[in-house]
Amino acid sequence: MGEATEPVGTPSSSPGIRRSGGSRSRKKKKSQIPLGLLAGVAIIAIGLVIMRESGLLAFFWFTGIAFGFILQKARFCFTASLRDPYLTGGTSLTKAVLTAFAVTSVGFWAILYGAHLAGQPLPGQGFVAPISVSTAVGATMFGIGMVIAGGCASGTLMRVGEGFLMQILALVFFVVGSLLGAASFGWWELNFIATSPRVFLPDVFGWFGAIAVQLLIIALLWIAADKFAKAKQRAGTH
Amino acid sequence: MKEETLDCLGEACPVPLVKTQKALEKLDVGDVLIVQIDHSCAMKNVPEWAREAGHNVEIEEVDDGEWDVVIEKVK
Repeated sequence: MGEATEPVGTPSSSPGIRRSGGSRSRKKKKSQIPLGLLAGVAIIAIGLVIMRESGLLAFFWFTGIAFGFILQKARFCFTASLRDPYLTGGTSLTKAVLTAFAVTSVGFWAILYGAHLAGQPLPGQGFVAPISVSTAVGATMFGIGMVIAGGCASGTLMRVGEGFLMQILALVFFVVGSLLGAASFGWWELNFIATSPRVFLPDVFGWFGAIAVQLLIIALLWIAADKFAKAKQRAGTH
Repeated sequence: MKEETLDCLGEACPVPLVKTQKALEKLDVGDVLIVQIDHSCAMKNVPEWAREAGHNVEIEEVDDGEWDVVIEKVK
């Protein structure tokens, strides 16, 4: 992403800022490679055991771990992608998220269109959720929550894994909220959600129109994010 | 030249960033601010913001998952 990111843990090679106290004493670092190899072997072993039970579960196991690994290493953060434009004027993560959306859009489109061409039932149609005011209300509530908690769902999980204790608190209430939501979802769905229309873009624009419209909107958002960051930079910091 | 330390250990993103912005505002040009953080997300946005604002930034990992972000106020 931006050239501003610096590999973690490597001492920077810039001339150096003079510090009166000098650096804090650095603890001698143990090599983490043996531990990493051990964890890798354990992950594969557990995956093989799970695979004997269910191939799908093993698939979830491996993709979940891969997703978490990338999320942590890339310092990818959905919360920051929406919060930082306001807070710092930086939109590098916003653009990264939009790029990810564009890539997954093409992938999902290919899977769906492939199924359509083969005359198979389209996968994932149950997840075409109705769109309504409740979507906007829920999104706003979630947005407030994730900024206070310092992370969205995936970000909170990742930082708990990193050992950031404060977010275990967020995780506890994340679980409580999810359970409450799951328990009462039927009522919400009946009264607020199911009454709204379900929009599946290929029904509206056709198969090629749908992907074109989706990519166009993402591209426009990307350009807007890029221009926003430059305008903020020109206006100086606040 | 003054040197100030800002303790943001245990603070989740975006608190370190907001505190850094406020602390830096009070400093004079040439002063150095050392922000201590242990939240990996702040590792990204504090240096990114400071660099974009035109300051000199250095990152030092003092322990596993604990960093000093050294910012020299330039303007």
